[in-house]
Amino acid sequence: MKFFVKYTKIKKTGIWMLTIVSVLVLTGCTNLDEEVFSEVTEDTFVPAESDIIALMASTYTPLRFVMDWQGYFDLQEESADIIVTPTRPNGWDDGGVYKRMHWHKWDNLQWQPTNTWRSCFRGINSINRVILQVESGLIPVDEQQSAEIITEMRALRALYYSMLLDTHGNVPIITDYGEELPVQNTRKEVFDFVEAELLEVVPSLTDSVATISYGRMTKYAAYHTLARIYLNAEIYTGTPQWEKCINACDAIINDGKFSLASSYKDIFATQNDKNPEMVFAIPYDAIYAGQWTAHMKMLLPGHRNVFNMEAQPWGGSSCNPQFIDSYEEGDNRLQDTWLMGDQRNINSGNVVMTLTKEMPSLEFCEATQGFRCGKYEIEEGATGALSNDFPFYRYTDVLMMKAECLLRMGRSEEAAQIVSEIRMRSFDNPEDAVVTGAELEGDTTMEYGTLDTEGNIDEPGDQSPVQYGRFLDELGWEFACEARRRTDLIRFGVFQTKNWYNHKPQGDHTVLFPIGLEELNTNANLKQNTGY
Amino acid sequence: MEQTNLSVKFFSRDGFRRKSWYFLFFLCCSFTTFGQQVISGTVKDDQGIPIGGASVQEKNTSNGAVTDFDGNFRITVQSETSVLVVSYMGFKTTETEVGSQTTINVVLQEDLQKLDEVVLIGYGSQKRADVTSAVASVKSEDFIQGNVKDAAQLIQGKVAGLTISTPSGDPTSGSQVKLRGISSLSGGTAPLVLVDGVPGSLNTVAPEDIESIDVLKDGSATAIYGTRGTNGVIIITTKSGGYNMKPTIEYNGYASLSTIARELDFMNASDLRRRWEEGYTFVGANVKDYGADTDWLDEITRNAYSQVHNLTFRGGNESTSLTASLNYRDIEGIFLKSDNRKYTGRVNVAHSMFDNKLKTTVGFIVSEQVYNALGDGTSFNPYIYRQALIRNPTEPVKNPDGTWMERDEYFYDNPVAYIMETLGENRERNVRFDFSSSYKINDNFTAKALYARRGNSEIRGFYQTKNHVSTVKYSQGGFASRGADNYINNYGQLTLDYNQSFGKHKVTALVGYNYEDEMNEGFWANNSNFPTDGFTYNNIGTGKWLEEGRAGMGSYKNSNKLIAFFSRVTYNFDDRYLLMASLRREGSSRFGANNKWGYFPGVSAGWRIHEESFMDSFTWLDNLKLRAGFGVTGINAGSNYQSLSGLTYSDYFLYNGEWIRQLVPNRNANPNLKWEKKEEVNFGLDYGFLDGRISGTVDYYSRRTKNSLHNYSVPTPPYFYNQMSANVAEIKNSGLEILLTAIPVKTDNFQWTANLTYSTNSNEIASLSNAEFQLTNDFFDTGYASEPIQVSTHRVQEGQPIGNFFGWKSVDITDDGIWLIETRNGDIVPSTEATSEDRQVMGNGLPKSYFSWNNTVQYKNWDFNVNIRGAFGYQILNFPRMYYENPTVDYNTLNSAYNKIYGKVVLNDVQRLVSYYVEDGDFLKLDNVTIGYTLPKSTLKFVENFRIYATGLNLATITGYKGIDPEVDTDGLDPGIDERDKYPSTRTFSLGINLTF
Repeated sequence: MKFFVKYTKIKKTGIWMLTIVSVLVLTGCTNLDEEVFSEVTEDTFVPAESDIIALMASTYTPLRFVMDWQGYFDLQEESADIIVTPTRPNGWDDGGVYKRMHWHKWDNLQWQPTNTWRSCFRGINSINRVILQVESGLIPVDEQQSAEIITEMRALRALYYSMLLDTHGNVPIITDYGEELPVQNTRKEVFDFVEAELLEVVPSLTDSVATISYGRMTKYAAYHTLARIYLNAEIYTGTPQWEKCINACDAIINDGKFSLASSYKDIFATQNDKNPEMVFAIPYDAIYAGQWTAHMKMLLPGHRNVFNMEAQPWGGSSCNPQFIDSYEEGDNRLQDTWLMGDQRNINSGNVVMTLTKEMPSLEFCEATQGFRCGKYEIEEGATGALSNDFPFYRYTDVLMMKAECLLRMGRSEEAAQIVSEIRMRSFDNPEDAVVTGAELEGDTTMEYGTLDTEGNIDEPGDQSPVQYGRFLDELGWEFACEARRRTDLIRFGVFQTKNWYNHKPQGDHTVLFPIGLEELNTNANLKQNTGY
Repeated sequence: MEQTNLSVKFFSRDGFRRKSWYFLFFLCCSFTTFGQQVISGTVKDDQGIPIGGASVQEKNTSNGAVTDFDGNFRITVQSETSVLVVSYMGFKTTETEVGSQTTINVVLQEDLQKLDEVVLIGYGSQKRADVTSAVASVKSEDFIQGNVKDAAQLIQGKVAGLTISTPSGDPTSGSQVKLRGISSLSGGTAPLVLVDGVPGSLNTVAPEDIESIDVLKDGSATAIYGTRGTNGVIIITTKSGGYNMKPTIEYNGYASLSTIARELDFMNASDLRRRWEEGYTFVGANVKDYGADTDWLDEITRNAYSQVHNLTFRGGNESTSLTASLNYRDIEGIFLKSDNRKYTGRVNVAHSMFDNKLKTTVGFIVSEQVYNALGDGTSFNPYIYRQALIRNPTEPVKNPDGTWMERDEYFYDNPVAYIMETLGENRERNVRFDFSSSYKINDNFTAKALYARRGNSEIRGFYQTKNHVSTVKYSQGGFASRGADNYINNYGQLTLDYNQSFGKHKVTALVGYNYEDEMNEGFWANNSNFPTDGFTYNNIGTGKWLEEGRAGMGSYKNSNKLIAFFSRVTYNFDDRYLLMASLRREGSSRFGANNKWGYFPGVSAGWRIHEESFMDSFTWLDNLKLRAGFGVTGINAGSNYQSLSGLTYSDYFLYNGEWIRQLVPNRNANPNLKWEKKEEVNFGLDYGFLDGRISGTVDYYSRRTKNSLHNYSVPTPPYFYNQMSANVAEIKNSGLEILLTAIPVKTDNFQWTANLTYSTNSNEIASLSNAEFQLTNDFFDTGYASEPIQVSTHRVQEGQPIGNFFGWKSVDITDDGIWLIETRNGDIVPSTEATSEDRQVMGNGLPKSYFSWNNTVQYKNWDFNVNIRGAFGYQILNFPRMYYENPTVDYNTLNSAYNKIYGKVVLNDVQRLVSYYVEDGDFLKLDNVTIGYTLPKSTLKFVENFRIYATGLNLATITGYKGIDPEVDTDGLDPGIDERDKYPSTRTFSLGINLTF
């Protein structure tokens, strides 16, 4: 009886408690929905028409990695024969990252190829996302707009793939925004994909060259991409495509929307968006798009006083003296590209420091040893980010691609005519600017071989003549520090055969970079490139 | 019977209006109806000091009284056969048969075993004797004394398995707390801290205001706190008044002097000149002799004086008790302008009515903290310390014209100018309001409700003048920054307690509901190019950068919720067999829609062997208890919204001549995000011999963490970003903890108590892959050696413990001073040819075992405390040596840079992550020595207690480690790095007073 009463009591109190609890439950005290404030959720977000640009923006912004820290510039230049980053008193060993680039002993942790892979796939991923959103009607656009967006996106995707085709080769081709682990494709398949996509979209792309199309994929940017892959087709696929390259170049030239800039320096000025050479530019801005930091890596702390900068550069990369020695007398591109000798205070005119050409060793150089890239204008008050737009595709390149194909097809005089025309603006004496077809067919003037600490060649290595080497020199002088030297060296067979500065060839596999460790680690479908 | 029926009615639907009548009826009953015999008397301890607040209970009834502050009580009992049970915390309970006495004086003996001591176990308490899980309790008299940083440092070395370290000497930084190793990849090791039952932090109340700290260690104990139980629960109980407590005022205060514990031996001016004479030439910092002789470290450091004052007012009558405390701390750091000032006030009022059935407390804690900001929004900027170390000692501080000496070197700034030309202040206010009410429904049921609201607001100001390098070198024209953050937390709790005895069976039960939400929001802005330095950060709109589009601005807001239902049952049979079981169902808003809720069960059992009859012959044995427990606890997702597909507007894109922001996903959303769960088994033994002279505990635990949350690498594509928060890894931890308390000497005038703790931990990553997230390799690298080394420092690998250093094994040096590296297959190559494939494990940064030895000696009025503790079986990556013990660098270096490596040649290689800089960290520290003298009672009238003491912290270290302090940062996945910019630890001497009126 006693127990029963107690039990009843427990039960009653329990019921009382249960009532409280159930009231709590019913009144929503178990509601665990998340409340968002400073972001929007995809489920509830309804894009307005103005958001179409914002969504598309994400497909272009990854391109700015080109001049960013450890970006595409470093990938293309550090591994080639012009830019060298030796260890200096203030550091610049950075775990040997620059030495490995110079020696071609990169591993699968190397930053520059990893950043290239990730940035390109970030762009490709965003493109596939936008295409999905347009096709599924998530973005409120009419049919015509929809077609325009998809065309532009496909062209841009081909541009990203053209970069990966060159750097990693065997990458997965992904055309949808799904959840499947990507499957690897061969370099040949990637080439075919880029070609087919561009050929398909080119007719529908805009041919406007105006503010609205600046920095975006136009018909001409697409042709330029095509010309680039045709120019390197022999490397990518084993089959040269010189004729097709010329056709793509002619498609740009014949429309007459671009012309050679009268001044070489203007192409690289802070305000260069109106330059007639800009086939496709990557716009940067110190305030809005501040990823151009490449100049900080090249200039010295003291250049703050030379250019009246509002930043103190870091002082790492400089020019291989062998390349400086290769310039012809009278070629103004030497002083238009490099900061040399006395560096003077912009206000007082006093010498701040003196840059010397000599760079004793990759293992150690003084801060002032090595000429620095001064090609891109540093305006007064420049900060850690430049506002210059990067000329990713410029008209001179169209002409030079055509000239190279002509040269390789045995039409060297036609090639020489184009090259001479380009050189005109860089020589005070027009006669010096003229080159002949025979000259262009000749060997390079660059003296390849590794250098000892005195700057003398100690191990010459492969001294066989470089076919069309003189044309390669021309590409070097014209396009130094334009994030492309590696591709040119590979095409001319120099990259994997010659010695330069402290570099010796490491084998044919180096023409492709290894796929990053983390990428391999997370996607079992990926196989490392041969040789790594 | 009658009573019981009343209670039932009381809760009937229409009973509420009548409740007051019943209470009056009860009151009358207790005073008149049953009164048969009135007993009065006093309760004193064996020294003859009256014990106030002791409980005097008539056995097997609810009839009881409490002694007043002179130890007097008066109770009316039913008959001559009644037995009075007198108990008081820390004393052995006595039972006296009433008989014919009307006056009963009771002398309570101190209980050295402390089996009756009350231990807090979360949403309630238990007698120590009944505890079935691993729980430790430290009272204020055993706390570390002197200039402590926070509540955790009070119990440093006092609890086996709870590692508390204070690697940083920054007065604004707290201790690092780690319980039973690292159980989570990214959940951290911070335990749940409860301050008087409400979640808080180690800084919620001043250390001087704390009465006791209880630590719940194993999973069976913490499972009732489900989500945040993995890293243990630290329960802080503040000093509080009691009913019928004599009013007292307690003053605790001390003044301290802190100095740098040890300085790194950098070249001074004469060392440098000697190098020049020896023919060394340098570039960069040490390029030439600037003629001066500057001790740069001395220029930015000082003897730091600090003072702390604490006043606590306590007292109470039979229905109300009051606690009020005031605390002021003014702590100086060893670097100029490095400080921390804090004011804390606390009031707590407890109110009891309806025959002590309804008890209510209302409390407020308000504090304000102010400190100089030498970084934008942060306290001391460690970059300044680095600059003092690497600066040319022949440079003067100032140029002859009075301006600061600055040079155009890479990351090279005058440290004195950096401090003097920076003005900043962070000011933080914390407010906590709490209200709780418990109602004792009858002898068996108590209902309790608690609500607490906490708020924290911080405002920051920061300014670099036009003489700071931000202008001198970067032409900014002054830089100002302001910011404000606000935090609000609501916490509510409802519980119903049940306890009852059925003969030899004792049962308690608890059910409850818990709600908590929190919201963070903030705003910041910065600007530059000011017309004058005069405004500092107080007129931020006058800078030109706003108009130029170069000013910065931002704001944010986020919130989350935690809701839980929980229950617990304990069962005690004949004080021999003990059982506890609990279950919590908890939900967090941070998880995916289908995974928000999780179950966290805990169960433990105890067997008090010495209570068995077959143990009767072992009279020397006072206590022997076996315990076993199993519990599941969880870790919440580290940040909000990880399961949501969020969008944000970020980087700009040039569209038609205008910059438009891109709209992109915020993250790789993981809708499957769920609880990280840790399962733990614990076996324990409590023992006590020889009348409490030797006692202690031994515990063994084994933990397994499943679905460990972490930002895992994922492939892009298909994912948008290359990292994603997910539940993947499995981690194992196991260890042994031993506590031994001994009283080797105990006479009337002299007592020596020694307390030894020893704990071990071993840790292993069991898995880094699951069905959804596959790693082709079984590892990932983490930790980082910054510029110019720029490589990762640690590898987290399946089958390996957390904390493995991963780098190049240096074995020799070439004649040219280049490291020779041993590759994994035993080849020796120069460091210039070693690749990332040649890296290997070079040691581990997590100590395998910890030891501490606390001694308390009391001789007459003197007391003497010595605290020794150590950590063993681990290595330290000595960053200062790795960066500064190298003569080729651009900056000033350690003198040891010119020592011959392996006795052969001076180093001529770049800075590298090689095993040469990995050192054994094992240490033994004489950490806290205190000597105190309590004035005899007779000397000062009106004064209850007066003690003066002197104490020293971090006095001496026995170690082979070459750096400043082997007690380095061991948090996270990259433990054991002695950061080159680490605020050096300090040695502190304090003089203090404890005064009670």
